Amino acid sequence: MGGVGDDEPASKRMKLSSEELRHLSNGSTLKEPIVRSTRDLMARPLQSEGGEEVFGPKGIIKKVEFVRIIAKALFSLGYVKSGAHLEEESGIALHSSLVNVFMKQILEGDWEGSVVTLNNIGLTDEMTIKSACFLILEQKYFEFLDEEKVTDALKTLRTEISPLCINDSRVRELSLFIVSPSRCFSVQSPKQDTSRARSRTKLLEELQKLLPPTVMVPERRLEHLVEQALVLQRDACMFHNSLYKEISLYADHQCARDQIPSYALQILQVHTDEIWSLQFSHNGKYLASSSNDCSTIIWEVDANGVSLKHKLSGHQKPLSSVSWSPNDHQLLTCGVEEVVRRWDVSSGECLHVYKKAGLGMVSCGWSPDGNWIFSGVNDKSISMWELDGKELECWKGQRTLKISDLEITSDGKHIISICRETAILLLDREAKVERFIEEDQTITSFSLSRDNRFLLVNLLNQEIHLWSIEGDLKLVSKYRGHKRTRLIIKSCFGGLKEAFIASGSEDSLVYIWHRGTGELIEALPGHSGAVNCVSWSPANPHMLASASDDRTIRIWGLNKPSTKKKDTHSNGIHHCNGST
Amino acid sequence: MGRLFVVNLEGKVYSCKHCKIHLALVDDIVSKSFQSRHGKAYLFSKVVNVSAGEKEDRMMMTGLHTVVDIFCIGCGSIVGWKYEFAHEKGQKYKEGKSVLERFKVSGPDGSHYWVSHETHGGSDADDV
Repeated sequence: MGGVGDDEPASKRMKLSSEELRHLSNGSTLKEPIVRSTRDLMARPLQSEGGEEVFGPKGIIKKVEFVRIIAKALFSLGYVKSGAHLEEESGIALHSSLVNVFMKQILEGDWEGSVVTLNNIGLTDEMTIKSACFLILEQKYFEFLDEEKVTDALKTLRTEISPLCINDSRVRELSLFIVSPSRCFSVQSPKQDTSRARSRTKLLEELQKLLPPTVMVPERRLEHLVEQALVLQRDACMFHNSLYKEISLYADHQCARDQIPSYALQILQVHTDEIWSLQFSHNGKYLASSSNDCSTIIWEVDANGVSLKHKLSGHQKPLSSVSWSPNDHQLLTCGVEEVVRRWDVSSGECLHVYKKAGLGMVSCGWSPDGNWIFSGVNDKSISMWELDGKELECWKGQRTLKISDLEITSDGKHIISICRETAILLLDREAKVERFIEEDQTITSFSLSRDNRFLLVNLLNQEIHLWSIEGDLKLVSKYRGHKRTRLIIKSCFGGLKEAFIASGSEDSLVYIWHRGTGELIEALPGHSGAVNCVSWSPANPHMLASASDDRTIRIWGLNKPSTKKKDTHSNGIHHCNGST
Repeated sequence: MGRLFVVNLEGKVYSCKHCKIHLALVDDIVSKSFQSRHGKAYLFSKVVNVSAGEKEDRMMMTGLHTVVDIFCIGCGSIVGWKYEFAHEKGQKYKEGKSVLERFKVSGPDGSHYWVSHETHGGSDADDV
């Protein structure tokens, strides 16, 4: 079998049936642990230093524990006979006989008996014994209440529960149940939201969590361990970008590169100057691009690809940014130190122009309910407007810079903008609290994750930093490789569960990193000028758009030889120049 | 050329002679006794809105230094150089600092500097 380092003579190894051998060779990648451990099941167990028998190639699995969790899993699967047979054959009982008695007593409601057994099981921690007693007696109390035996319940509370002298607040809550049973929806204890007793099986589960795992093996322990390994494999998989890729137990999971969009499926050539901003709508059905040519284009995304829907003209200055309304029906566009315009997506009509006398807008964003818009102003303030143009609020002072992006979290609470050369302001506008992300280098742009928990920050020194902004502000990862020396280059989150980071670059490549490991996985050539911005479709993890100084937008996708259209060029790239 | 990332300085500013982009603050001048091919040059602790060229070892008036030429990001014209590494111990204070040629920048009052006729061949100085 080509095993590494196993010197056992063949006679000691039991013969594997041909069916088992087939399973082993099917999908095995010779990654040591998985394949070899199946074979080692037949091998003689080793002796660890501690004296306990160990199991498995690394000698770190305790055999007794392993057998017990397998037995537990067999019982959970309903294979009671197999579970019992395993206990017999291995000589290792899942639970001691006392524990079995205890479990039976709980399920039968023999409260006095169970308390006695509990004290005999041999627990060392007195607090655990008391807490377990509390749970049992609490159940007794509730069952009395359910049977309307109020005096018995009261007696239990007074003479059995109270003397335990633990959890006094819960004791007080329990007494309230007698006073007004119908009204009691306890806010403090979420597990008890009716005054009825929960099932005895539930009680057993709670006790299992309380008692040490050596006494009672926790529910679903083997499943938990297996899932943990699978999740770790999936998270380490650098190319994992498809929902339907199942993870098998037979071999360590590793996707091939083919799920990462790396083929230019379309080149959109309509803008007449550099494109500086690009953004898919929330539903992925539209793409907005804005340009130095003072126009914004709304593109429509459907099964046939990306096509031009509207060209929005009206700005007198180049566009700095765009922002989709939460329901994707409207679009905000901002001219560089000019005005903010609000457009209707289906008609292409300009619905409103927002301006401030003597000042220019630098960024724009929507409130999550779509009723207000925000914009950064070139006097460093941030304004908030009603849709009809009435200015509601203005945060003055050092709130935003001329080159800053603007984001509002989807709970509407936080406004995010670059407020100083090396700092990003997170302004909680309700609590009026300010937090700052402080960097050592100048910040050039940033991007907010869809779940609002992370911020991707682009720095002057060509690094991209990932910050966690939920709770404490923490630097999580750094991404390097792209080029930035003079321009504002934007980056974004994307792919399945936003597991990837994409960025533009001054060397005309589109860079893609695996977010979790920080590894650079793609640098896509094609553009003939600096790639200023990228946007990954929120609806389609296989569609990435990039826009460049070369005036084009590239739509990147998977290499699928799918629909061939009449006007496709021989290299398979579909060009769209806006003519119908 | 893309959307330039421009840092705007506040205070008395030296800017690029051609495109007026801010380069450095008067407050950040470390020394005015430097020289370049075009005459006077100032050493600054901080310069913004420049991009750097390739690292080069250059023999200057005060010894061997590793420098990079710096270019205005707006118009690309060379405006001076930055010290990356000083080979002599006494010159270490220059590391990380940048020199702007007076000829290439407009002063805070908008003034320009004209190349004097006795330009030296050498660059550098501060001490001899």
